[in-house]
Amino acid sequence: MNKTYDVIIIGGGATGAGIARDCSLRGIKALLLERSDIATGATGRNHGLLHSGARYAVTDRESAEECIRENMILRRIAAHCVEETDGLFITLPEDGLEYQARFVEACRAAGIRADILDPDLARRLEPAANPALIGAVRVPDGAVDPFRLTASNILDARAHGAEIRTYVEVRELLREQDRIVGVRAYDHRTHSEENLYARVVVNAGGIWGHGIAAKAGIVVNMLPAKGALLIFGHRVNRMVLNRCRKPADADILVPGDTISLIGTTSSKIPFDQIDNMVITPDEVDILLREGEKLSPQLATTRILRAYAGVRPLVASDDDPSGRTVSRGIVLLDHASRDGMEGFITITGGKLMTYRLMAEWATDLICKKIGNSEKCRTAEIPLPGSTEKREEVEKKISRKPLTQRRSAISRHGDLATRIDSGDSLKNSLVCECEEVSIGEVEYAMEHLSVNNLVDLRRRTRIGMGTCQGELCACRAAGLMGRRDAVCARKAKADLVSFLNERWKGMQPIAWGDTLRESEYTTWIYEGVCGLSDDKNTAQ
Amino acid sequence: MNTQQNTVSENNFEQCIKCTVCTVYCPVAAVNPDYPGPKQAGPDGERLRLKRPDFFDAALKYCMNCKRCEVACPSNVRIGDIIQAARIKYGPQRNTSPRNFVLANTDLVGTLATPFAPIVNTAVSLKPVRFMMDKVMGIDHRRIFPKYAHGTFTAWYRKHAAAAQEAFPRQVSYFHGCYVNYNNPQLGKDLIRIMNALGYGVRLLDKEKCCGVALISNGLYKQARRQAKTNLASIRTAVNDRKLDVITTSSTCTFTLRDEYPHLLKLRNEDVRDHIELATRYLYRLLQKNRDQLKFKDTTPLRVAYHTPCHMEKMGWAYYSIELLRMIPGVEVIVLDSQCCGIAGTYGFKKENYHTSQAVGEGLFRQIEASGADLVATDCETCKWQIEMSTSKRCEHPLSILASRLA
Amino acid sequence: MKFDTVIIGGGLAGMVCGIRLTEAGKRCAIVSQGQSALHFSSGSFDLLSKLPDGTDIEDPLAGIAALGRTNPEHPYAVMGAKRCEKYALEAPELLRAAGIPVSGDCRRNHCRITPMGKARATWLTIDGYLTAEAPERLPFRKVCIANVEGFLDFYPEFIAEEFRKSGIECTFASINLPDLEQIRRNPSEMRSANIARVFDHEQNLEALAAQIRDAAATCDALILPAIIGLNRNDSLEVLRAKLPTPLYLLPTLPPSIPGIRAQQALQHRFRALGGEYFLGDSVLRAEYEGGRVKRIFTANHGNIPFEADSFVLASGSFFSRGLVATPDRIVEPVFEADTVHTPDRSQWYTLRFFGRQNYQAFGVCTDSSLHVIRKGEAIGNLYGAGAGLAGFHPVQEGCGAGVSLLSALYVADEILNSK
Repeated sequence: MNKTYDVIIIGGGATGAGIARDCSLRGIKALLLERSDIATGATGRNHGLLHSGARYAVTDRESAEECIRENMILRRIAAHCVEETDGLFITLPEDGLEYQARFVEACRAAGIRADILDPDLARRLEPAANPALIGAVRVPDGAVDPFRLTASNILDARAHGAEIRTYVEVRELLREQDRIVGVRAYDHRTHSEENLYARVVVNAGGIWGHGIAAKAGIVVNMLPAKGALLIFGHRVNRMVLNRCRKPADADILVPGDTISLIGTTSSKIPFDQIDNMVITPDEVDILLREGEKLSPQLATTRILRAYAGVRPLVASDDDPSGRTVSRGIVLLDHASRDGMEGFITITGGKLMTYRLMAEWATDLICKKIGNSEKCRTAEIPLPGSTEKREEVEKKISRKPLTQRRSAISRHGDLATRIDSGDSLKNSLVCECEEVSIGEVEYAMEHLSVNNLVDLRRRTRIGMGTCQGELCACRAAGLMGRRDAVCARKAKADLVSFLNERWKGMQPIAWGDTLRESEYTTWIYEGVCGLSDDKNTAQ
Repeated sequence: MNTQQNTVSENNFEQCIKCTVCTVYCPVAAVNPDYPGPKQAGPDGERLRLKRPDFFDAALKYCMNCKRCEVACPSNVRIGDIIQAARIKYGPQRNTSPRNFVLANTDLVGTLATPFAPIVNTAVSLKPVRFMMDKVMGIDHRRIFPKYAHGTFTAWYRKHAAAAQEAFPRQVSYFHGCYVNYNNPQLGKDLIRIMNALGYGVRLLDKEKCCGVALISNGLYKQARRQAKTNLASIRTAVNDRKLDVITTSSTCTFTLRDEYPHLLKLRNEDVRDHIELATRYLYRLLQKNRDQLKFKDTTPLRVAYHTPCHMEKMGWAYYSIELLRMIPGVEVIVLDSQCCGIAGTYGFKKENYHTSQAVGEGLFRQIEASGADLVATDCETCKWQIEMSTSKRCEHPLSILASRLA
Repeated sequence: MKFDTVIIGGGLAGMVCGIRLTEAGKRCAIVSQGQSALHFSSGSFDLLSKLPDGTDIEDPLAGIAALGRTNPEHPYAVMGAKRCEKYALEAPELLRAAGIPVSGDCRRNHCRITPMGKARATWLTIDGYLTAEAPERLPFRKVCIANVEGFLDFYPEFIAEEFRKSGIECTFASINLPDLEQIRRNPSEMRSANIARVFDHEQNLEALAAQIRDAAATCDALILPAIIGLNRNDSLEVLRAKLPTPLYLLPTLPPSIPGIRAQQALQHRFRALGGEYFLGDSVLRAEYEGGRVKRIFTANHGNIPFEADSFVLASGSFFSRGLVATPDRIVEPVFEADTVHTPDRSQWYTLRFFGRQNYQAFGVCTDSSLHVIRKGEAIGNLYGAGAGLAGFHPVQEGCGAGVSLLSALYVADEILNSK
């Protein structure tokens, strides 16, 4: 049986999800295919910085303007994914103040509010900032949660008729003469392949888009750039901290939810390494060395984990050598570029501009299929952001306070859908992040959770200081409740979840992190008797 | 090289690795489901409060500040301090109720009550008065109030003791605390008798205020800080200028002066901290050198059950009081399992805490009744009230027991 | 303060060493930094379940003898097979005398059953907990697994999934009581210890029996998580007397009721024998004289040091902070003893969580008498015991409890025989 759609979107990052939403709001029948879970690529592996654009103001005016526009839009449509913290660009003695004037001027030219602060005021506003600072500029930076943002786009897309399928990998692009007519997709859960057809296929695969285009024999010149980050155990800073200098390694510290993040390093890596990110001790050292300059407190703050993402840098089409790269949005119509109809690639850009990228891509899709609807994604709030926090609080006042506030910060007004009818539903699964049984059940039922790692992205289970030591088994227990098959799967899943957590802890496993790991070993390998031999991994 | 190379977390709450041992030993979580438990209220909650201050949960007031979580914690997390500090930082800053004001101001109330002690003592024991206090003030009617002494310890000291103390070759300073001053001057007299027998004169501090423990637990932080500053100034004069150690007879006063001042009130005291100690510890050291210095008259057999007050458990000093009791001829010491009695200073006086307070103490009361002891001994005055109210036994300070048997 | 021996660490090793020494008439003090790792115990004590190469062990003593040939750095090899055997025979007696009723044979491992239904080889198990000669030889064909409603630290479905592999029929029963509803009002405190407190009350224990009686009647046996008997000894007997079929307990995730009970039993025993137990205190530094430890200073006792003829370092591994990892070395913080470790951090781990992690075998350097080595010299009156020793993988080799018990008794003997 072959299914037909208007458009098939490959890739469940923010961009893919944004396109699915945009298409479905314009009445276009869309199917999104993601080989893993949503937000698993670069979308979920960056700072979660709601850029004001200030960082690009001096070097890339166009990006800066895009950023500040999208910044203001996201505050409106995705309020529950955004924390309006503002940011400081601090000048340290070693940087010198010369850059500051240039920076402020460039910000203002791009339409970004930039206020020069007295150093004393800056130190008071942000006690975590390096007190040695000699200058500070306040800009409308903030934090944005990429998982929530993507999930919310997915929810809305689905509500408007889009079909979203995760763990479905595109194996081939189906081609009829000079036209892509669909894809051959493999479902990792049912282990089956099928052909799916559409009038337009959109390649929104991020860095993996390189390989997707190659399936059509098309070359998109991308350069995988690895960026490593460190997550600290608690929220160190109130405002985003940047260095007021030419962008460099490890010069952004972002407070997001319960933690703070420092990043990133930047190194070119070969394509065969993009699925195999390993953080080196050198990268950890750079992040800490530079991070401590932004906020000396980081030297004595526990590190929870290290991870890395791969940015899809795209080489300019008119420079085949690949030396000129753009951080801007790249939309390729392969009909005009390569003579291949029905296939477009959207790449480059950044999390901040996902909506704009989706708009551009959808505009092109509309042109191709003759749809004249206008884009409305900048006006209509995303699910979760339709009601004020205070209103939501009132509706779920039965939930214990910390749990209630945590649930609202994760789900916005959708927190009202979490069952909090009795004490049983309010029992905590994850104590670090205050995730209740009700919330886990809500996520499993409504947010397409297939395993514990998916559950973590929806609820922050296992993202707290214990990194799953206390809650992974509880969540697995809940997932395994339904029947024997679920029980077997959940147990195997628990093992891979622990492996995944350990992967991020291992580069920084000393001090309390090593204690935590030893303890986790005692619990899971000792008391519970788990192992990752064949029997457990089914 | 970055400094992380050699440091572990300075943010003490991050050392928590969620082992949950604290929740096993929290006396409140065991009986009051409205209290979120030490792990949640402490390290877990702190992380959330750093995210947004509105994660502060008023239920933190149920913490008795017994610090048993800290004693149990294998990770050295100062859980109790984190909870109390959160109350100071995020909790309600004003609107202290008249009840809390009265309970917290042990000094003021004591000063007002002692001149009229017989009347006050009778009045607060009368049913209608207790009923009124329950309804109007929220002080539980079942609670038996400690009796006030007729005349304060300091008044007695100035009149009858001060002059004689000068004569002794060696001297110590004495922080008597509110209990000795207003409720039980006899304990102060007992201490003087013992110290004198060992050749030490006992002096008072230039100016002594209530240590402030009750103010802290009732949210009167500014006043607590003011009083703490006065006390520290007096202690500094004694320690630094007069070269005198400061001893106390209350485990809670000692703990507050030594540890709560720096940890909760952010008043540094490291220059004098080592010179503030419990009288039993001071005596233990003196007697280690010469056990025969004290002469006993009464050696009739006496079974004494020692109860370790929470703050004594935290300081780890019960050993000294127990050893001191063991030195008394004829005394047999039974060491009770260290459990909270439930009173926690003014906590148990509050109507809303009465049930929790008595439920916490239940285990200890059972132990005491089953011990076969003639008498209970403890270093904390509020434990004494609780034990005497809730069991059939009398409860005395180890030094009073010792003094009563001296030749 | 003057003692014959001061032991640093109040976990399994420290307690057992202290009990043995006080039994022999020594005056001992234990200084402990907080409650110990026993609080997370499974209710069983392993001696040796696997060799370092992964070979399963049926006869632990034979395995220990084999270790002596292949792994000379292993604490069992250091102590020698003969003395290991002596202490392996003595240890269960010591535990039972302390009021921890254990059964098992050091010549033949049995299986314990985990909260996820896995069968794992072990040496001693506390009476009342489910054991089997072999994974497929469980003492029932049809079993009912009961759990308290809303208790998330125990996994009936996982257990059933494992049991069904051996053809055992499994049913489930759910337990609820008004008093349990009451504790559930606190969303984070629905834990084994809190539940066990509820069942310490006679009427609740009765109600529990009533709730599971019917389910038990339809099965050969009934399984209950370890949520009874926190502060009383007779809970299991009381329940068993009221049920028509056998009742077995299984451990839960932490906190562990059998572990807490064991810890408290050891503490009581130690104190009843005259030992002094200082909980919640940290040793800050030591003073030495003539190559021996003279006295140690602690945070609580400040200017009153602990003096003793001998000292035992039983402060545990990383969890208990007997060992501290910095990014490039492993430190023993009390005496700054020499430690066994590789300096290159990338060698400390494997990428698989369940893989063989080298860091777990790091520990304090000791000589053949388990004297602690500091700056290359053995300290004559300082001994190492327990999890802080080097050269073994406590979980993977299933020897953590065994090393603690045997090294504690070994060190006690060394101290008793030293004069």
